Amino acid sequence: MVSVVLNTDVKQEDAGNAVVVAVTSRALFESGLEDDDAGVWKLSLAFPLLQAVQKVNDCLLEKNPAESLLLDVLLITTDSQHQKLSSLLISSTKHHGLGVGKFCFASEETFVDSLLENNVQLFLSTNKDEVQTASQKGVPSAMLEARKKDSSVSCQREDLRVWLDEDLISLRDSASEPGSRHSPQRFLAKLGEIRQRFSVSDSPLWISLVILHGSRENCGKRLKTLRSLGVSVDDVYCLAGAPSEPLLSVLQPHFRFNCCFMD
Amino acid sequence: MSEIKPEGRAAVADSSEEQDWAAAKAFFDSLKTKVPRPPKPQFAVTIAVSSRTLFNMVAERKIYEEEGVEKYVAFQVEHEDEPLSPGPAFPFVKALMNVNSRLRQLYPDSEELFDIVLMTNNHAQVGVRLINSINHYGLTIERFCMTGGQSPIGYLKAYMTNLYLSKDSEKVTDAIEEEIAAATMFMRQSETELSDTQLRVAFDGDAVLFSDESEIIVKQHGLDTFFEHEKKFENKPLAQGPLKCFLEALGKLQRKFYAKNERMNCPIRTFLVTARSAASSGARVLKTLRSWGLEIDEALFLAGAPKGPLLQKIKPHIFFDDQMFHIEGAKELGTISAHVPYGIGQKYNRGKLIEEPAEKK
Repeated sequence: MVSVVLNTDVKQEDAGNAVVVAVTSRALFESGLEDDDAGVWKLSLAFPLLQAVQKVNDCLLEKNPAESLLLDVLLITTDSQHQKLSSLLISSTKHHGLGVGKFCFASEETFVDSLLENNVQLFLSTNKDEVQTASQKGVPSAMLEARKKDSSVSCQREDLRVWLDEDLISLRDSASEPGSRHSPQRFLAKLGEIRQRFSVSDSPLWISLVILHGSRENCGKRLKTLRSLGVSVDDVYCLAGAPSEPLLSVLQPHFRFNCCFMD
Repeated sequence: MSEIKPEGRAAVADSSEEQDWAAAKAFFDSLKTKVPRPPKPQFAVTIAVSSRTLFNMVAERKIYEEEGVEKYVAFQVEHEDEPLSPGPAFPFVKALMNVNSRLRQLYPDSEELFDIVLMTNNHAQVGVRLINSINHYGLTIERFCMTGGQSPIGYLKAYMTNLYLSKDSEKVTDAIEEEIAAATMFMRQSETELSDTQLRVAFDGDAVLFSDESEIIVKQHGLDTFFEHEKKFENKPLAQGPLKCFLEALGKLQRKFYAKNERMNCPIRTFLVTARSAASSGARVLKTLRSWGLEIDEALFLAGAPKGPLLQKIKPHIFFDDQMFHIEGAKELGTISAHVPYGIGQKYNRGKLIEEPAEKK
């Protein structure tokens, strides 16, 4: 049984233009560890992401108080255990004052359908299998990254940092269903549109392109492909097989999205 | 073969790293147009060049400085199908490519090659023009790092850089402070033809290959004290300077040619061009190199004579020196020079200390 509950503490966004980003409950909360005073769950990995999303929305509204192209966060449960703990999830969310617009209580079997029903344009999880399953069904999905405390990158920590990559290994391993290719493009286009609201040097959203395995030619093509989708990437790294871990530590993205560029 | 990278990487490679490497290898091997596959960074000599050293972007830089970053990026995008003209590091990069093709012929399966990385804090949209320009000249550069305005320093280590060349002296100074060999490149004022079959690299001695310990003595106590000191400590090796590891890396690649009987035809030649004099202070330098197990092909002791005319004869693809005085002299006579902002020489060149006699050793 799937149900969607609105978070009354948060202003609901215009469904038409908002970019719905779903985050799993397991990514946001450390389950089982209760905050003694309030009887709510402690925050986990996805919290910096929510903060960054909040910053992007704040900056968008600052530029245009009537802005409808905002990021709308949906908290989703993806297993039956969490599905039963709806009131605890809601109270924990409200306690921490998180910018979650809606809650969706689903199980392992039903969560992908919920994502599709709720027009989710980006699904973020810490579970690799969930990401793969959702992706195969056409929901653009990505793994949330653990953020390290010390980073040599001097940018503001609250900026939303998105890592887009061309990962030939994943491309080979995951076969997505036909007709599902359009969704990643739609998501990227929306992301690009948000980025365009800000100038070259002053943006709360930072988009990096990382070509993990391909050549310079690939790199040039991807830059142009993204440009044609309206995505103006900020920085680009072509690794040609060099280890990506060190770069990951420097860039510290909130999530890594495999672009599945299909030639 | 021992590793070329100064910091030893763990012998057991991470499996995801190996997967990434294998995927890239498979990709490059499958390409119809045979693009040489970039080497495994752990075994390669990685040279990071900035966009302004690889290409001449003087006009574009002016737009950036006078009209701001938005106009600059827009300009680059507008002109992205026009290839840029070569910059100061261009001949050096071509020479590196030549060494790589020779190495690939002799050692088809080796990863001990030069790995050339474009390391720039340019915005990614400018990247299209940079890539187009690289395509235009057929340069074998497959790795890039375009940081979109962030300082490249953090990324130099991520790309396992052995040598970083830039036009921005601040970035170069930061790199040297992070113990990465680096130098600020200068465009030469006249064009002399350079070898296209042999990479020729010239180094100053003190504060480049060696520490600035002896230079401090000259500056603070004068030449006579310096001569006495150097004779006294002839057998005590000098401490190493910022470019020592790069010379070492060149030496390792040279030995690969010697091993295949190619000593007479080696496509790498190294030069020491020092203001020291052979008679009084030269021995210590040679003994230091020997104690490090390093060879230098030609050691030229100038005993204070200007370096410019000699460098004109040597025609190196790059000449490293810590003193701007020598860089200026070299540039004027057509040598591509790279300033290493290290050691006591910097304080004097910037005129912080008022009294400054001509730098003579």
